[in-house]
Amino acid sequence: MSLSEKNSVVFAYESSVHGTNVLHNLNDQRKQDILCDVTVLVEDQRFRAHKAVLAACSNYFLSRIVGQLDSDLIITLPEEVTLKGFSPLLQFAYTAKLILNKDNVSEVCKCAEFLGIRDIEESCFQFLKFKFLDCKTDHQECPRKKCCTQRYQKRSPEIGNVDDADIEIEDETEELLEKECIQTPQTKLFKDEENAKMSPAFQDNTNQTCDPAHLERGNVSSSSSLCPKYRKFQKAFGNDKVHISEPSPSVKDIQVPPIAAFLEKELPDNDSTQKAQECAPMQLVSKCEEAQVKMEEGEEENKKKEETKRDSLTQSILCPVEKVEVAAFAPNSAAPHGPNSVSSLLTCEQYGDLNFTDVQSNTAIAEKSVAGPGVRSDKIESQDAAPLKMDSCPREAINVASAGDRSSVEREVAEHLAKGFWSDIYSTETCQVHLPPAVAKECLEPVYSGKKSECPWLGIRISESPEPCPPRTFTTLSSVNCPFISNLSAEGCSTNSEISSGDYVQGQQQDQCPYNYVISLGEDSETDTEGDSESCSAREQDCEVKLPFNTQRIISLSRNDFQSFLKMHKLTPEQLDCIHDIRRRSKNRIAAQRCRKRKLDCIQNLESEIEKLQNEKENLLKERNHILSTLGETKQNLTGLCQQVCKEAALSHEQIQILAKYSCSDCPLSFLFPERERTAPSDSELVIPPCMELEGLSGVTSTTEQNSCYQCVKGVCDPTYSQVQELHPVSVTTLEKTSLVEQCGQSSGITDFCQQMTDKCTTDE
Amino acid sequence: METDARGAAVLGGLAEVVERVLGFLPTKALLRAACVCRLWRECARRTLRARQRLAWVSALEAGPGESHALVRALAHELEKVHVLPQTVLYIADAETFSGHEECHEQKKARKRNSKETAIELEKLLPKRCQVLGLVTPGIVVTPMGSSSNRPQEIEEGEAGFALLFPKIDGVKIQTFHFFKDLKNRVFDENKFSEAGLKNNPDLRVVLLFGYNSWKSGATRFLHQIVNPLNEKSIILAGGQVESFTSLISEHTSAQPSDACGVVGLAFSGPQIQSATVLLDQDVADERTAEAAMQRLKAANIPERNTVGFMFACVGRGYRHYKTKRNMEADAFRKFFPNVPLFGFFGHGEIGCDRIVTGNFVLRECNDIKEDLLHGYTTVMTLIHLGSTKANQV
Repeated sequence: MSLSEKNSVVFAYESSVHGTNVLHNLNDQRKQDILCDVTVLVEDQRFRAHKAVLAACSNYFLSRIVGQLDSDLIITLPEEVTLKGFSPLLQFAYTAKLILNKDNVSEVCKCAEFLGIRDIEESCFQFLKFKFLDCKTDHQECPRKKCCTQRYQKRSPEIGNVDDADIEIEDETEELLEKECIQTPQTKLFKDEENAKMSPAFQDNTNQTCDPAHLERGNVSSSSSLCPKYRKFQKAFGNDKVHISEPSPSVKDIQVPPIAAFLEKELPDNDSTQKAQECAPMQLVSKCEEAQVKMEEGEEENKKKEETKRDSLTQSILCPVEKVEVAAFAPNSAAPHGPNSVSSLLTCEQYGDLNFTDVQSNTAIAEKSVAGPGVRSDKIESQDAAPLKMDSCPREAINVASAGDRSSVEREVAEHLAKGFWSDIYSTETCQVHLPPAVAKECLEPVYSGKKSECPWLGIRISESPEPCPPRTFTTLSSVNCPFISNLSAEGCSTNSEISSGDYVQGQQQDQCPYNYVISLGEDSETDTEGDSESCSAREQDCEVKLPFNTQRIISLSRNDFQSFLKMHKLTPEQLDCIHDIRRRSKNRIAAQRCRKRKLDCIQNLESEIEKLQNEKENLLKERNHILSTLGETKQNLTGLCQQVCKEAALSHEQIQILAKYSCSDCPLSFLFPERERTAPSDSELVIPPCMELEGLSGVTSTTEQNSCYQCVKGVCDPTYSQVQELHPVSVTTLEKTSLVEQCGQSSGITDFCQQMTDKCTTDE
Repeated sequence: METDARGAAVLGGLAEVVERVLGFLPTKALLRAACVCRLWRECARRTLRARQRLAWVSALEAGPGESHALVRALAHELEKVHVLPQTVLYIADAETFSGHEECHEQKKARKRNSKETAIELEKLLPKRCQVLGLVTPGIVVTPMGSSSNRPQEIEEGEAGFALLFPKIDGVKIQTFHFFKDLKNRVFDENKFSEAGLKNNPDLRVVLLFGYNSWKSGATRFLHQIVNPLNEKSIILAGGQVESFTSLISEHTSAQPSDACGVVGLAFSGPQIQSATVLLDQDVADERTAEAAMQRLKAANIPERNTVGFMFACVGRGYRHYKTKRNMEADAFRKFFPNVPLFGFFGHGEIGCDRIVTGNFVLRECNDIKEDLLHGYTTVMTLIHLGSTKANQV
């Protein structure tokens, strides 16, 4: 191998991470605004980016950017492209990752379509849309809620009046109330969601479990009496919302970080109660949690809120029942924990105040917030159980405390507090109540749309707490070139039929399972197509140049020799490949040749066979003609003989006729017909003993010199002939007196007979 | 005599003719025919290689006889199948798999019995193929014949199916088995790569089946397996089964141990496309079930050469749908008229909402680790095994 050959070897290095890294670096550049040469304007927000990247990712940008000579281009996108839809797409362009969630999926989809972003498949949007649609229909959040509110409003004019009256409020409480009531509507929202979510089945369930216990407690009356109250309560609540003005910004402070610890505390509880679901319908806590368990399917965020809510609810129910002191203690103890100070402290105090409510109103809240009408009964029951559960109160108080720490929990608590407060007032007919709910109502909108980023308040919440619905990533996989995988599919292409046939024999021996027969699927077929083997020969020759020996040797050697031959020569892997390739191909070619040869042989065989058959046919035809001619002669002779016999015997016409008649068509005697026919009518009465005739006839034939032709015919139609002879006596004796009319059709007898004979001759041979 | 010679010349010499004729034979007959001569062997080999479509054998109702219906069906149908199975996944119902006699005898006797059934079944299959057998409380099965047959949810009664995967170009199917080793508490990462679950860029789908899930620590163990897998862009689906009855792979022939463990199948190959959806507790009527199927449909997985899996909770089924039977299977059939559906009712499910194709991955990304272990849910998964030319036949 010469040096130059060595130098000409080319290697290819391929990096599988390069593409990703380039993109990553570009993304870094974008973030640092390095080399960015285009500004995209979407809804008044500016995005810096690279022309090349945008054009490479989007057809739209390609068309907008190409031809623009401006060094710092500004592209203003039309209205169809929204901020919410565009920013994930821009991120996708630089990271190959598309973050999708419930809110942005439809807009991202629209924008992607409009911008003609590449490598995004429509199906993912479809998938997510269905998923989110699912959720929506399950929970039926927003529309139903609104409806409810409206309905309540309409239904309760009196309550509305009361509200109006209540609008004059004590200044002191007002601020606080405002704050807290901002959250109230939200709580309401969740409640509604919750209610909507609860499937009828579940309600049935809970009713079932509750009822017995409930009856035991004899609280039927109270439940029924509470029912309308609950109604009213809701109505009023709905009503109130209508009046409210601005959300106080101070609330923001309260609601910052997430709830984690608090929730964690609650969750184990949940688990335990979940298990004991059926058996312990007595405690409110368990009830709440049961309901909650049912609701687990809900979005995580919601769930958490509900948990918190319920918890605080429990508290609000338990505490008042217990004693005012305890309730007061709870907020107070909470205060020290609460880092955020006055507001929370105030809340807590407020809470304490709230807890002075009478039990009933609290229960009403409980009902409302926990489930729906279905669960109501057990709420009441739990109310009864509340005194029993006093010892649990401190714990709850601590919960409140921790809630004070974690302000988003606190928010929830506050909601309930406010509610408790409000309902409290409502039931006792105090006038302060209604402003806060009014405030809440105004807030309803922003709060509900909380998931939208427009509301700063909301924005904070989203960022801090677990996201309402998990966002999705949309990653484009880089197609990785893995050499070892490609090897997998192409299995060993050994052409050595020895090995496979060996396997095959082995397989045959193991007879139990036919699957044992080894058939190596990976092996190349030996009978390659012609085109294939031809095309490779060029390459073969190309390689041959570089090989130190003749290709012919590669091919001609046997397998073992070939192996040792390869060992003798030191060859590069490439050459080895080439040699193997050559060998395989040549083997293939040989096999193909063999195959073709076989085919040719086959064709030749068939051709010669055809020739043979044709010869045979000719011979047969000749023979047939010959036989036909001898047959004619025989006929003639026979006729002559018959005539002679007739003359010699001096038979009368009648006798001849009868003879002809009984001899039938089988006998050449029938040639006498024409004469006979003419004479027949006159001699009808003559009767000759048939045996004489027959004897005469046989005598004639035996005595006459039988010429060769006759012999020949006789040989052919011997069986027929003897048959005739046998028949004669029978027919003669039995049919003696049959009328002569039957004879008419016999003129063709002789021809028939001849025909029969010739047929026999041809078919027999 | 002449005609015989001519026939021999054709059948012994013309590969095209032979191949065409052999193409009509089922695999077992084909393999017998392969013993005739070299030409036939070549032809049989080529014919077999072209058979890359999935086949299955299903048994829906108990029949006469001692053995399990699946064993009988398999014995009968294997004569007719047109593939050479390389990997077999069979699932049978736990109640009858271990024998028909009243199962109130000692546990030991039953176990031995189910093992016997398993061995009987394994004997029917080719020696070289990997077999994974599971028993579960209930079975979801598509009757044999057409892939558009109506799938049946059989929550009780004798039933079973066997999925026969041939060797498919560009698809590798591996079985694996991990079990909790009491002596060795640290989980051996090497086992992962051995099973092709690690350092395998083409891994697309992993079907996982946990057994003995009632043992203490089983959930933690399962998490140990599932969580590393969940970090990859692959589809994970499966559930908790009663037990696994057979596992033959190239390397090992494991027996079910008393500890908890996981068995499964790993599908790797760049051409595999897959999608999965989770039907949670909310999905409790026709509308929601169909909505979920619509979602799966929206994933736009090709329907040729695709198999559907359904792993449901024992608590679902007709009781969950207010005594409507076969609800989920019918919903599936409505949206996927030509995809065979298989699965089981088990003691828990593994799954999520996810799409994995050669081009992209769509998955949830949570800061909180997404939990794949569920209860009272149904996991529906579609696995498309690629559409190479060989599959089109």
